Amino acid sequence: MLWSLKATRECCAVAEVVLQNVTKTFGGHPALDDVSMTVPNGSFVVLLGPTGAGKTTTLRMVSGLDNPDSGEVFIGGQAMRGLTPAQRNVAMVFQQYSLYPHLSVRQNLEFPLKSPLLKTPQKAIDEKVNAIAEVLQISHKLDNKATALSGGEMQRVSIGRALVRNPQIYLMDEPLSSLDAKLRADLRVELKNIQAKSGATLLYVTHDQIEAMTMATHIGVLEEGRLVQFGSPREIYEAPVSVYAASRLGQPRINVLPANLFAGSPERAKSIGLRPEHIVQGSGEDALVTRVEHLGDQTRLHISFKHHDLVTVTDPHTGFRGGETIKIQPHKPLFFDAAGMRIA
Amino acid sequence: MLHSSIDRAAQATPPPVAQRIKGLSDRAIAWIFVAPSIVLLLAINIFPLIWTIRLSFTNFRVNRPNEPVQFVGLRNYLNILTDEDIWLTMQATAHFLIWTIVLQVLIGFSLAYLINKKFRGNDLWTTIIVLPMMLSPAVVGNFWTFLYQPQIGLFNYAVGFLTGADPSSFSMIGDTALAPWSIIIVDTWMWTPFVMLICLAGLRSIPSSIYEAAECDRASSWRQFWTITVPMVLPFLMLAILFRGIENFKMFDLVVQLTGGGPGSITELTSINLKREAFEKWRTGYASAYAVILFVTVFGLASIYVKALNKVKQR
Repeated sequence: MLWSLKATRECCAVAEVVLQNVTKTFGGHPALDDVSMTVPNGSFVVLLGPTGAGKTTTLRMVSGLDNPDSGEVFIGGQAMRGLTPAQRNVAMVFQQYSLYPHLSVRQNLEFPLKSPLLKTPQKAIDEKVNAIAEVLQISHKLDNKATALSGGEMQRVSIGRALVRNPQIYLMDEPLSSLDAKLRADLRVELKNIQAKSGATLLYVTHDQIEAMTMATHIGVLEEGRLVQFGSPREIYEAPVSVYAASRLGQPRINVLPANLFAGSPERAKSIGLRPEHIVQGSGEDALVTRVEHLGDQTRLHISFKHHDLVTVTDPHTGFRGGETIKIQPHKPLFFDAAGMRIA
Repeated sequence: MLHSSIDRAAQATPPPVAQRIKGLSDRAIAWIFVAPSIVLLLAINIFPLIWTIRLSFTNFRVNRPNEPVQFVGLRNYLNILTDEDIWLTMQATAHFLIWTIVLQVLIGFSLAYLINKKFRGNDLWTTIIVLPMMLSPAVVGNFWTFLYQPQIGLFNYAVGFLTGADPSSFSMIGDTALAPWSIIIVDTWMWTPFVMLICLAGLRSIPSSIYEAAECDRASSWRQFWTITVPMVLPFLMLAILFRGIENFKMFDLVVQLTGGGPGSITELTSINLKREAFEKWRTGYASAYAVILFVTVFGLASIYVKALNKVKQR
């Protein structure tokens, strides 16, 4: 299956995407503020950030659906200013699916291949469409009308419509958000496989941190239109530049407490960031276990420490119960200054 | 326990209608609401239809109520279907129908497509374009007879100005070749806005995100137009054609105002022909048969058309 996908892919154009000081304002409100980033050829870049951080806007800048007010987008070394999406050779998966409602699933998937410019033979089109449909588990729906599908099926068709093509870059806007947990896990692996084997370049927007951690080669953290950090998932996780970047990754979320709660904090530190692995259990100061959550593969402890709440992880087979006392101690925590920037 | 919030909520819910109006089931109440419409429908639609069908088999004349009414079987129908003059009026009607629909669809869709582009003042333009539709057909017919005046008419003047022909050398209404077109032009002028409005509704129902997807799929504007715009507006367009088709099949007022069926009987459409038979020659039985034939024709054509329309919608 995957072999056939790879085999039908003609070539892999150099598709390094560069955003250079891109700024975009919508009605006086800055959507992107001086964003510069390089999406290396063959990389899988995930954009993280809450709603309104500029993730979708970034995709629209690269696709050409919107143009930057200032700054420049380069794809494969070529400046994109003034080029329409059709001239750019990008494929985009929209958050709201945007299927062609009057066409069948098959016709939707064929649409990009049927471009008069490509002159793809029908047999090649059929092969490609069938292969993609199988990967996305929609083979049995190929002759359904696109509007007669469930949300998850529509989303898969929408992903398929991008995957049948061989663009310089795939842009995906939360493509797995409306799938159920099992299918999401399946497609996560499948997408990553397709990307790894074909060497395609992806720019991917998600809220799901598991997707970000497992699929990304690079993560860009956006905050109110600014790119605050860009690096590998491990870098962002282990060495976040700020409280904001640190809060994007990690489950349970990083605990942010006043720095003076613990002895030995640096002078300028205003707050201390504690991920579960930064909390040593069994030594240090007393804390009260308020709640124990058994999640199966892990157990979460909700702890009250000097009237501050924090959440950490413990042995899945722990015998802890709510109301018990536990000793905790920070171990190589992260420190942030008054502005939330990391200092150590 | 009895006064828990759930009990209070339950008590606040009104009892079913039937319990409040004693002795009536919900079904009976439903009938009471529906009955007036059904009575009206029977009295002014169904009964006249049945009565017309009955009269169509007789030689009844409404201006001679005292004469004995004879049952003539299918003679009225045979007379109509073998009458060459009636076939000529049918042809005139078909000619009028086809050209008005072709012109109104082409111009109406084009206008809708242009108006749908975002530009300054497109709401104002929509209002201006829609104005003719708001006027009474009698008024429209009346002032177009002035516009068509060979000596003083603006229409003749404009045609003369554009082509260099002498404005008084031709008469739109008086010429046997031009008279049918004089009606087609006025009907198109008056009703194109209607087709435009329906097409505009169709165009506005297409989300812009679909065009964005097509744009990313590298479809040219030409391909977007033919694979997205046209198929998605088609159900709306077909509905507009249905409305215009049925309306124009029974076209009466404009023609009476403009040409009165003339010159000769060149512009005598079936509706005018029928009115002559029924209320000038007073051949009531004959006219009834005529009306039944027209009814069956329109009804049959419309049914086939609606089926096609539903197919397009389901596609």
